[in-house]
Amino acid sequence: MTDFNPTENFFQLLGLPQQFELDQAKLSQSYRQLQQSVHPDRFAAEGERQRLLAVQKSSQINEAFEVLRSPTQRAAYLLKLAGVDSDLSSATFRDTDFLMQQMMLREELSELSSASDPEAALDKFYRELDTAASNQQAAFAGHYQAGDYMAARDVLAKMHFLDKLRHEAEQKEASLLDY
Amino acid sequence: MALMQISEPGQAPAPHQRKRAVGIDLGTSNSLVASFRNGSVQTLPDLDGRHLLPSVVHYGEQGQMLLGNAALAVAGEDAENTLMSIKRLMGRSYRDVAQADVLSPYTLVDCGEDMVKLKTRVGDISPVQVSAEILKTLAERAVETLGGELDGAVITVPAYFDDAQRQATKDAAQIAGLKVLRLLNEPTAAAVAYGLDEREEGAVAVFDLGGGTFDISVLQMQKGVFEVLATGGDSALGGDDFDVEIARWFAGESIATLSAAQRRQLLNACKAAKETFANPELNQVEIEVLGQSKLLTREQLNALLDPLIDRCIRACKRALRDARLSADNILNVVMVGGSTRTLRVRERVAEWFGREPLTSIDPDKVVALGAAQQAEQLVGNRQGDEVLLLDVIPLSLGIETMGGLTEKIIHRNTTIPVAMAQEFTTFKDGQTAMAIHVVQGERELVEDCRSLARFELKGIPPMVAGAARIRVTFQVDADGLLQVAAKEETTGVESQVQVKPAYGLSDGDIADMLKASWASAGEDKEARALREQQVEAEALLQALSAALLADGEALLSEDEQKALLADMEKLHNEREQGTAASIANQIELVGKASETFAERRMNASIKKALAGRRVDDL
Repeated sequence: MTDFNPTENFFQLLGLPQQFELDQAKLSQSYRQLQQSVHPDRFAAEGERQRLLAVQKSSQINEAFEVLRSPTQRAAYLLKLAGVDSDLSSATFRDTDFLMQQMMLREELSELSSASDPEAALDKFYRELDTAASNQQAAFAGHYQAGDYMAARDVLAKMHFLDKLRHEAEQKEASLLDY
Repeated sequence: MALMQISEPGQAPAPHQRKRAVGIDLGTSNSLVASFRNGSVQTLPDLDGRHLLPSVVHYGEQGQMLLGNAALAVAGEDAENTLMSIKRLMGRSYRDVAQADVLSPYTLVDCGEDMVKLKTRVGDISPVQVSAEILKTLAERAVETLGGELDGAVITVPAYFDDAQRQATKDAAQIAGLKVLRLLNEPTAAAVAYGLDEREEGAVAVFDLGGGTFDISVLQMQKGVFEVLATGGDSALGGDDFDVEIARWFAGESIATLSAAQRRQLLNACKAAKETFANPELNQVEIEVLGQSKLLTREQLNALLDPLIDRCIRACKRALRDARLSADNILNVVMVGGSTRTLRVRERVAEWFGREPLTSIDPDKVVALGAAQQAEQLVGNRQGDEVLLLDVIPLSLGIETMGGLTEKIIHRNTTIPVAMAQEFTTFKDGQTAMAIHVVQGERELVEDCRSLARFELKGIPPMVAGAARIRVTFQVDADGLLQVAAKEETTGVESQVQVKPAYGLSDGDIADMLKASWASAGEDKEARALREQQVEAEALLQALSAALLADGEALLSEDEQKALLADMEKLHNEREQGTAASIANQIELVGKASETFAERRMNASIKKALAGRRVDDL
């Protein structure tokens, strides 16, 4: 038998093709099947070493799953595998449409607290973010498939921006709704 | 000899021995133990037929200890020495609990950064010791009922428990002499008890309102895997707070002037009134206590409780948001905890989720029943129909960075086990040590989070500032407990750090408590240590024998099998004749010798899992 290779990439680990488009159902299925066989609970009655090993393998599979199921993390990971410098600080924004959109979204976010129904306003904001995010994901997929990694990296930077906005919205939500 | 059978191919394996495993719900107000008996899981009663053990310990004048109902019976007359609701003190400092706990009849001891203690006539007692006494009582009940020593236990904890609280629970189990198969989240256990794993696939919300804690969990069931999508809640909100609200309404300002015993009487009366209202026919209850009498209507009661229930609903909202679901995606709502008997709670939950919640299993027993089911599986008694329970970490783990800010390393609701690594560097030339402060919580400022551990990485080779690359790995296991390891990457200098939460007990504390518990049990320390090692050796031999039977031929060469068997045989002999130390030594040797085998088995199962998937796809 050949040994499991710990350096094999997350796509191989989960038995999926190395590409941006992802069959979510397939990802979940592989993930569950792998966890069924390596989770520490499967070795609860066994020796300490076997249990420790299970914790490590299970963690690795969890990490792979986390990275692949998040579009932004998956995109960043694909570029890393392609040997593209992941430093996004040099990414350029000549896309005025995107900048406009960002400004509008930011404004909307800052006005959330004074909305008459903050919850409804938040829901609307999240929907807008979702739409913007799926547009960028489609753009990333196109550039990546065409092998235009530099363009793909610029899109990734935009994806990060949108994620950051979402994160800020979630924090705002927490303070608004008094969690 | 049983051991040799496994080296003879074709020979029948030793008959399958059924193991004794229990599920324990260590609750704020009551605790339970359950096990698989006569074809189903059942909670185990005491000699008087009572299933619930009140989580109460009383320390008497002659140093004697009363537990459960016996302790509860004297609570009114000796409140200061009757410790109850101590679950909310587990893994907590004085500062954490002092404010929320103004109405506790017993006196808390401020131990600074360390876990709070309770002042009693026999000295200052740790909440861990009290929990250990409760666990021990339940374990003894199980040993008697099941007719022998226990092979393992699943102990439940609120999903919202942080690292310090989980560690405190595990420490209590260790002091009680239990082998913990898993710390299981209470809501997950409840969903298992309802058999939701066998029903339609989909999302389940578990609404768990106990005496002192509130948990909401959103779970997803698919193809034999029960996955926690999100958890939330409040570890200082429960039915006890309902009683306090009613008491405040009853006594008004004068509540602050009551003695400990009077407070207890008042709270008991309010609790009784609340329980009476569980009868839907009743619309008002007369409360008579402390020489006063007042009429409480259901409307007034609801108005008193609503602000507390609002807090529950807000937590539900957040958990659903985290799970990226809305209330109408939820197929079932499971009710857990005695406080869900309060009709107002059921009404508000049904209203918010838009469906009637499940209440057919006793909300006090449901968690223990689910835990027993899982214990049965983990100990190896059930094969084939295994359900996998994937839990998440309830609160983010991070480290302190410049300016007292937290940098999150593992985010809330990440599936566990999980390992994350972070690189740090030195900021001064020739710096050889670095202090790391690990915190848990969602807030940005370190002071608003729970401090879990502070430790120092030493022995960093002197280099210019910024040249060292120190990789710190955070590993959270399936119980939600953290370990940290650090490695300087350019030179390979390694330092393993066992993170003991700042609020937890040191190994020395645990050793002391263990000694104290032996002394009280009249047990010989040596004898106990020997027995523990013998049990450990037996468990390892059994596990390895089973593994060899299943995979030995396929994964090991003949020589490798022989070598491992020889080591196992030595352990077998050592177990019969050796001392605690020599057995421990041989356990270590066998562990090392089986490392390659363990690694290959893991790889083989990964391959098999993926191969299975590909076949499914065809």
